Amino acid sequence: MKVMVRLLKNPTSLAGIILLLAYVVIALAAPVFAPIPPRSRDPYIIPRDGFTTEPKLPDEEHRFGTTEGQYDIYYGVIWGTRTAFRVGVVITGITVILGLLIGSLAGFYGRWVDEILMRITEVFQAFPFLLAAITLTSVLQTLYGRGEAGGISYLAQILAFLTFGHNPTKPVDPVQLQILTGMLAIIIFGWMTYARVIRGNILAVKEFEYALAARTIGASNMRILMRHLMPNAVFPVLVLASMDIGAYVLTFAALSFLGLGAQTGYADWGQMISFARNWIPSLAQYWHIVVYPGMAIVLFVLAWNLVGDALRDIMDPRLRGRGA
Amino acid sequence: MINYIIRRLLIIPMLLAGVTVLIFAMLSLLTPFERASLYVSDIPKRQGALELIIEKYGLDDPIPLQYWHWMVGQEDSETGEIKGGVLRGDLGWSKVGKGSVTEVIGRRLPATAELALWASIPMIGIGIWLGVLSAVNHNKLADQILRVFSIVGWSIPTFVFGLLVLMIFYAKLGWFPPERLSDWASQIVQSDSFTRYTQMNTIDALLNLRLDIFFDAVRHLVLPVTTLAYLNWAYMLRVTRSSMLDTLNQDYMTTARSKGLAEKVVVRRHAVPNALIPVVTVAALMMIGLLNGVVITETIFSYPGMGSFLAIAALSLDVVSVLGITLFSSFILVFGNLIADVLYGVIDPRIRLQ
Repeated sequence: MKVMVRLLKNPTSLAGIILLLAYVVIALAAPVFAPIPPRSRDPYIIPRDGFTTEPKLPDEEHRFGTTEGQYDIYYGVIWGTRTAFRVGVVITGITVILGLLIGSLAGFYGRWVDEILMRITEVFQAFPFLLAAITLTSVLQTLYGRGEAGGISYLAQILAFLTFGHNPTKPVDPVQLQILTGMLAIIIFGWMTYARVIRGNILAVKEFEYALAARTIGASNMRILMRHLMPNAVFPVLVLASMDIGAYVLTFAALSFLGLGAQTGYADWGQMISFARNWIPSLAQYWHIVVYPGMAIVLFVLAWNLVGDALRDIMDPRLRGRGA
Repeated sequence: MINYIIRRLLIIPMLLAGVTVLIFAMLSLLTPFERASLYVSDIPKRQGALELIIEKYGLDDPIPLQYWHWMVGQEDSETGEIKGGVLRGDLGWSKVGKGSVTEVIGRRLPATAELALWASIPMIGIGIWLGVLSAVNHNKLADQILRVFSIVGWSIPTFVFGLLVLMIFYAKLGWFPPERLSDWASQIVQSDSFTRYTQMNTIDALLNLRLDIFFDAVRHLVLPVTTLAYLNWAYMLRVTRSSMLDTLNQDYMTTARSKGLAEKVVVRRHAVPNALIPVVTVAALMMIGLLNGVVITETIFSYPGMGSFLAIAALSLDVVSVLGITLFSSFILVFGNLIADVLYGVIDPRIRLQ
C-alpha cells in the first residue's frame, strides 16, 4: 500500500500508471473503439479495404491510414494492444516462474544442485538473447510447419491456453501457432537473470542473523522458507520482474518485425511496422505506416519503464534516490 | 593475476561445450528426415534418397554418437576423407548463402565488424560523458533531462528508431542513404585497382588513399551507427551515473575537496577513474547489445552483414545457417566476457585477490 502511494506521488511513475491504465482501457474496450467488421472470422485479423499495394494516407474512413495491402492501421493499433498485453503478461509470468523455480532450488539446496543449475544458467547466458530467440523460433517453426512436433506440441497447447484461452483439446490455430513459437523461444532464453538474482538473494538472506536465529530455535525448513526467504529474497524480485512486460513486448515486436512472430495481417504492432520495410525510400510520404504503430509500442514500453524505474527506487533502499 | 586469468580460462571450454550441446539439442528437435533435407542443397526427387543420406551420415544413430560426429566430423565410407565437424570449422551448408556457413560468415563478418567498431566509439564515449554530466549535476535540470532521455531511449525499439531516422535523413532530406556503398563506389571497390586489405570499406579506402570512397562509406555508416549506439547510450549513461554518484560520496572525495582542489580536478582526477571501474564490466553487456542490435539494424538499412543474413536465413527456415551463426556469435560473446573479466581484474586489484 505504501509503495502504491509513493508511486502515485512521483510524477514520472504517475504518468506511467496513467498511460498503462489508458492501454488497459483500450485493450478491454477494443470492440468499442474499433468495431469488428461483419463476417469477420477472427477479430485479430486486421480488416482490409481492397488489395492495392500502395499505402493510403489517413482520411475520414481510415483514421491512421492503411498499410500496403490496405490493412487498416487504426484497427491494428487498437487490437494490437490486446496482443501486446497477452504476449507480455504470459511471457513474463512463465519466465519468472521458471527463474523462481531454478533460482530457489539452487539457492536453497546449495552444493551440487546449485553448482549444476548455475552452470546450466551460464550456458544459456552465453547466447546473445535475440539471436538465440530467432534461432529457436526458426527451429520450432520448422517443426510445427511440418505438422509433427512430438512432445513440444503439448507446450504449444499449454501456451495457447494461457495466451488465447484456447480449448486444450482442440488443435491450435496455425495463426496463433506462429505467435506461440516466438513466445516459447523468448521464454526458453529469458529466465536466467531471475534465477540468478533469486539464488543470490536467498544465499544472502540465509546468512543473515534472523534466518540463522530462526534455524537455531529449531524452525523447520518450510517455515524459514515461507517466513524469511520468500518475503525478503523473492517477493521484491517478483514485483520488479512484473515490470519487464514492456521489455518482452519489445523483444516479441522485434521478432514480428523480422517476420518471425505474428503473421502478416495479424493485429500486432511489430508485424504492422514490418510493412514499412518495403517503403523505405518513400517513407517521407508514407510516414503514417511507421509513426502510428511505432508510437503505440514506444508509449507502451515507456509506461512500463516509468513505473518500473520508480518501483526500483522504492523497493531497493540501497539505490534510493539514485535512480540507478 | 595469473591465477585469476587461469581460473577464468578454465571456465571457457566448459561454457563452449555447453553452448554446442544446446545448439545440437535444438538441431536434434528435428526428425532425421528433416535434418537430412537440411544438409542437401536440393531435396532429391528420387525415392529413398533421403534414407540413403540418413544411413550414410548416421542421422538416426543415438544422439550422443551423433553429437560426437557433429563435433569432430565423420569419415566418408567411400573416400575415407573426414567430413564435417564443428571443431574442424565446418558448420554445415547454408542454403540461403549458397556456400558453407563458415564461408558465409567469413564473407559477411567484415561488414558487421566495421559497423560494430564505428558504433562502439560514440556508444562508449558519449555514454560515459552523459553519465558523468548527469551525476555531477545530480538532481539538477541537466540530470532530470538526461534521466528522461535515457528512459525514453530505453523504450524505443531499435527498428522504430532506425525507420524514423531513415524517414528523416534519407527519405526526406536524402543525406544518408542505406546499404553499404553507392553504386559507383562499390564498382571501384570491387575492381582490381582497389586492394581489399581488411574488407572493411572505411579502413581499406584510407589504405588505398581514396578519400572519396572513405567519405561515401562513412555517409552510409552514419545512420546504422547512430541506431546501434543510441540504445546503449541510455544504458551506459545509467551505469556511469550510478557509479559516479557512489564515488562522489566517498571519503577520499571529501579529502580531495578539503585539500583545496578545484571541483573540476576533483571530478576528473579522483572521481571519474574510480567510477569507471564497474563500467568496464558493462563492456561485455555492450557486446551482447551489439550482437543483438546488428540483426535488426542491418536488416533495416539493407546492410550486408552477418545480422541481416541471419534474419533472411531465419525467415527462410534455413536452420543450419541460423544455428551456425548463433554458435559463432556465442563464441564471440564468451570470449568478450573473458576479456571484460580480465580487464576488470587488471583495473581493480580487489577482484583479483578474491
